[in-house]
Amino acid sequence: MTSLRAAACCAALMAGTAVTHPAAAQTSLTVAWYGGNWGDAFRTCVAEPFTKATGIKVVAEIGTSTVTLAKLQQQKGAPTIDVAWMDGGISELAQAAGVTGAIDPQAVPNLAKVSPEAVYKADGAVYAVGTGYYSLGLTYNTQKVRTPPTSWDDLWKPEFAGAVTIPSPANSSGVPFILFLNKIWGNPANDLSKTFARLKTLDTALYFDSSGAASNAYQSGEAIVGAHFSVGAWDLADKGLPIGFAVPKEGVWATDARLHLVKGTPRQTEAARFIDTALTPQASACLAEKLYLGPSVQGVSVAPEVERKLPWGVGGSVKNLQLFNWADINRDRGAITDAWNREIARQ
Amino acid sequence: MTAVLTTTAMPPAATAPTALRRALPLLAAPVAFFVAFFAVPMVVVLSSSLAAGGAPSLANYARVLLDQYHWDVLAVTFRIAALTTLAVTLLGYPLAYYLVRVVSSNALRRSCVILLLLPLFTSNIVRSFGWMILLGRNGLVNDTLVGIGLLERPVRFLGTEMGIVIGLVYILLPFIVLAVGNALATVDPTLEEASADLGASPFTTFWTVTFPLCLPGLIAGVIMVFTLAASAYVTPALLSGGKITVFPMLIFQQYSTVFDVHYGGALSITLLVFTLVLVALAGRIGNGGGDRS
Repeated sequence: MTSLRAAACCAALMAGTAVTHPAAAQTSLTVAWYGGNWGDAFRTCVAEPFTKATGIKVVAEIGTSTVTLAKLQQQKGAPTIDVAWMDGGISELAQAAGVTGAIDPQAVPNLAKVSPEAVYKADGAVYAVGTGYYSLGLTYNTQKVRTPPTSWDDLWKPEFAGAVTIPSPANSSGVPFILFLNKIWGNPANDLSKTFARLKTLDTALYFDSSGAASNAYQSGEAIVGAHFSVGAWDLADKGLPIGFAVPKEGVWATDARLHLVKGTPRQTEAARFIDTALTPQASACLAEKLYLGPSVQGVSVAPEVERKLPWGVGGSVKNLQLFNWADINRDRGAITDAWNREIARQ
Repeated sequence: MTAVLTTTAMPPAATAPTALRRALPLLAAPVAFFVAFFAVPMVVVLSSSLAAGGAPSLANYARVLLDQYHWDVLAVTFRIAALTTLAVTLLGYPLAYYLVRVVSSNALRRSCVILLLLPLFTSNIVRSFGWMILLGRNGLVNDTLVGIGLLERPVRFLGTEMGIVIGLVYILLPFIVLAVGNALATVDPTLEEASADLGASPFTTFWTVTFPLCLPGLIAGVIMVFTLAASAYVTPALLSGGKITVFPMLIFQQYSTVFDVHYGGALSITLLVFTLVLVALAGRIGNGGGDRS
């Protein structure tokens, strides 16, 4: 009897959602994006122009890429999210999980303007499109570090002992950063032991799990030099903190924030239109101004003050970024995380 | 289940069918809530931990239990939880005693309790970030200790077990104060007066009358604090600076970045089982104490 009542209760709840949903669907589009300054920028640069042009309200579903992927997997078959921003790496996992739909170049004419590196295809269909690049570069306290660092090796300098920070594998950049170091140091791709041995000798203040923890460490002076995302570092600098961001001579590892059309959304046309809006030169330039994302749309020009802060540094372009194949990274993720736990994350 | 419901829910005066009819609607909501938000996720975690490569298997548990590394992490996790519980008890018991027995003004007691509970209204993340700033190399704690000459150079708190314990003690203190305070408030003062009348010193009265009587409350508080400390993720993750690994961090890694729900599930169940065993042991000690009194 209890279960009967529970079932009736659930049925009533479901009926409730079924009734309210189609009504909301006519006037709104649900888009998943990240929190903080990212979400604000997506709203200003993409959602607001989209609503202005179409009259369709955009409902934000705020979460990190991983959380969004989890939600999409739960909603598989009957999605309530129509369009989703997810980072490189998670994007490939979403494709493999079968939650991304095909982006039709006919319905998204601006796709033709996007640089080929930022159009992601699987089985001949486009499943994701990059809306801007960001990198993990050298970040330093301009008051405590007199000569800007020019190489990743500078992190091992004695004067920085105990005041360095780099990402841990719990951060999205952690595993790729280890592979990046392995590559620039010329170690064999299938053997990370030398890289781990070297990382073990790095005297750090902390390994950061979240971008927020990194920002906090630079802000409090706990770390004076290390790695940080271009978006986070420039955000600190713009707030008036003595923080600099440099692209070292070995280059930077980078990835991008990508848009996905959720498979099975009943609002295909509106979702495609939203993606098209995000790929206009205006939206791309706006994201470059707000977040210093390197534009994925070709021929976008920004003010020199903004250009200086793009993820590839002064005078660079997308060609200068080390964009790894996420499929390789995801394949080795478990093993690298495990090795890190045993070698680095214990005293 | 129905039998259990009737025996527990039936008031002595009511007839069985009436009681059942009254109890069921009342129970439906909590039972549905419990099933949906506790039992179902638990079964999902358990079943995924018992599968590897699409077939039922104990391989995930073998991977966890046959590896010395996991035992080391488990030891660190329970050591931090035990130290936190000890520190919280030593700080919280006198505080609860003070609030219940020494503070005579109701208004003052109420404001003290509000002050104690106020931090619970803020997210763990914010509070742990606060400690990161306070405990940093150039943080308030180090600056003060160096300033007054107690230290020559800043001490490292972040990235040490000490730092994690400080953060957890701060977050978990209210739980023990409330549990002990409640128990103390229900101790009948006439029992203590009787003890004093019979010639016992205040100290003897405390040890032989008051303390045993509020031991169940203390044990409840200790169990709460220990389980919360052993399963804490945010505070250790932020205050360890990634240099110390506790079991919940391993679980989080598997679910959030490696996406291996099978191995992650086995880690979760392992932590749960070991915590339950320790809690059961504590419960036995608590019962023993209860019998003595």
